[in-house]
Amino acid sequence: MKYTIEVKDLCFRYYSKEEDTLQGINLKVEKGEVLTIVGLSGNGKSTLCHCISGIFNHLDKGSLRGEILLNGRSLKDLSRVDIIKQIGIVFQDPDTQLFSPTVEDEIAFGPENLCLETDVITYRIDDALRVVGMEEFRFSNPNHLSGGQKQLIALASVLSLEPEIFIFDEAMSQVDKAGKLLIKNKIKALKKQGKAIIMIEHDLSNLDISDRVMVLREGKLFDFNGSLS
Amino acid sequence: MGFIDLNNVSFKYKDNQFIIKDVSLKLLKEDFTGVIGPNGGGKTTLGKLMAGILKASKGDVFIDGLNSQDLKLGAIGKRVGYLFQNPERQIFAPTVEEDLTFSLRIKGIEKQQILIKAQEMMELFQLKHLANQFPFTLSQGEKQRLALAGTLINDPSFLILDEPTTGLDIERKKQLTNILKKLQKKGVGMVFISHDDDFINNLSTRIIQLIGGEIVADKRK
Amino acid sequence: MLIRENKIDPRTKLTAVILISSLAVLIKDIALLLGIFSITFIIALGFGNNPLALFKKLKKLALLFMAIIIIQSSFSSGIPLLRIGSITLLTIDGFTKGILLAIRMCIIIISATIISTSSPREIVQGLIQWKIPYEIAFMVSIGIRFLPLFVDEIKDTVNAIQLRGIELDKIPIGKRMKIYSYVLMPVVATTLMKSKRLSIAMESKGFGIYPRRSSFKRLKLSKVDYLLMAAFLVGAFTIVTVYLG
Repeated sequence: MKYTIEVKDLCFRYYSKEEDTLQGINLKVEKGEVLTIVGLSGNGKSTLCHCISGIFNHLDKGSLRGEILLNGRSLKDLSRVDIIKQIGIVFQDPDTQLFSPTVEDEIAFGPENLCLETDVITYRIDDALRVVGMEEFRFSNPNHLSGGQKQLIALASVLSLEPEIFIFDEAMSQVDKAGKLLIKNKIKALKKQGKAIIMIEHDLSNLDISDRVMVLREGKLFDFNGSLS
Repeated sequence: MGFIDLNNVSFKYKDNQFIIKDVSLKLLKEDFTGVIGPNGGGKTTLGKLMAGILKASKGDVFIDGLNSQDLKLGAIGKRVGYLFQNPERQIFAPTVEEDLTFSLRIKGIEKQQILIKAQEMMELFQLKHLANQFPFTLSQGEKQRLALAGTLINDPSFLILDEPTTGLDIERKKQLTNILKKLQKKGVGMVFISHDDDFINNLSTRIIQLIGGEIVADKRK
Repeated sequence: MLIRENKIDPRTKLTAVILISSLAVLIKDIALLLGIFSITFIIALGFGNNPLALFKKLKKLALLFMAIIIIQSSFSSGIPLLRIGSITLLTIDGFTKGILLAIRMCIIIISATIISTSSPREIVQGLIQWKIPYEIAFMVSIGIRFLPLFVDEIKDTVNAIQLRGIELDKIPIGKRMKIYSYVLMPVVATTLMKSKRLSIAMESKGFGIYPRRSSFKRLKLSKVDYLLMAAFLVGAFTIVTVYLG
């Protein structure tokens, strides 16, 4: 069977470090499945995100061994265009994800890079804004929004790319209750649409929407049994 | 009178809309006050007004009985410690130990005394093993403990913390909670701004809810 | 002749800015420069910007101009205007050079305000439609976007230093410089870190995967734009002819 994401014996070591940050990771995610990975900081959660989303493919930060397959094809054989069309990643720090002068431009950024038609882009902006409930901020400067609102816009700017795979790297850390509910509902909807989703979390109250939970501890992945350490 | 008093305080940036609308509050040292509320509700702005970093557009803020309009930040720092949401903004020196002590050195405090203070702080905040490290490569939790230690080395009797749990995992949150409880025992009053319900419920004796720049609830446990 | 600012294409404004600042650099004649100065002033006013508000800020520059005049004087041998003892403080030559420089800077600063009436996004779009590579256009836009954040960061850091109980105004100037050097550390470190994260975020959304990118907004030059641009060009050409002739 072909999995949407399949990671086999993945090891990763930063050039600046003496030890492998990831030590033999194996995981599989199917269409319409939400896998949550929990763990304490410094255990390699973000590194794993960066590996799967192909960011380390062309950023020469360290040595990567093992294999990452997207729909059965190795990440190494995929072009950047292919990877970007398939994977969308929402990062933790909202300030460094938003760089456009208005919210609208921010959400249009990805689709514009993909050279989509004007009316498609406009439709996607409308849709993404509606989903995160930020329509009234369409023409606002992202600088003037609060941390949580920025995270909602960061999510919207990835939704507009309409990828098959979503990676959320602690993407709700500054979002308030109402915002969390919005995001969780959206994740459920994405799941129904058959998207594969990996969530990285340290907030255990966000686990209710996941199908499976695993814990990353000292670079290794285990089934989660309620304890992080 | 509270340690920090806000009397009919409103705030806006230049010609924009009011972010804080006619807020009156008395903050007591004996309390552990949590400020909660949705994103964009004015929590950070309120915190900066309490610390005198921002000055009220209307109304008055009194810190330790003095009007914040007349207080220089340097004078406030001796009374109130403020922890920025982003700890990187309050780390200044090339090593952890130097960062902790530079303000004391500038003030011309005796070397021996500085050393004792630094040791004490590093002990309390579990930074001893990092004394000679470059602060910007520390983990988020370590940076935050350093920023807190740097703030507390001036012995302020009141602390304002803006989203102190951001970027901290459960273990580090527990560590932070323990440290704050220790400070509470020492008699340091506190305000934390946070959307982390567990953290607030665990620590606060008083919870203020801020929506749209207005206080909609103010309860004591 | 107030024209609704949002109707004017940013490219028209850019044309004006480029022409005016080139003239300001090229021309060394005080009378002509004063003429350009007043024209620039009127153009800025016409685009809906009030340069008078700027003059309050420029006041602070007056000291700098004075310093420049004095420095120019001490390096130029000319007829002395003012001397103290055997030291020449002002010469006619230095004085004119200093004044020239001051007018020039004022012209350039005011002309720059013309473009500020467009949103950064429009300016970038204008540059892209001028066939400037979009990577470069974006660098400009991100620079504009992050400048206020950068300023905030410096403010926060200076605040944070003072909140450590350091009363800046009670500290002697030498020591104060040392304190300001502490501001640099967090600012540089966070800027480096942020730019790294920023480029990762941009690339993860496909920045630069194709040699061109589409845009959901397109600018169109109107008749007024063409007319204005033609007027600017003719004006600039006339001034240059007068100057050279």
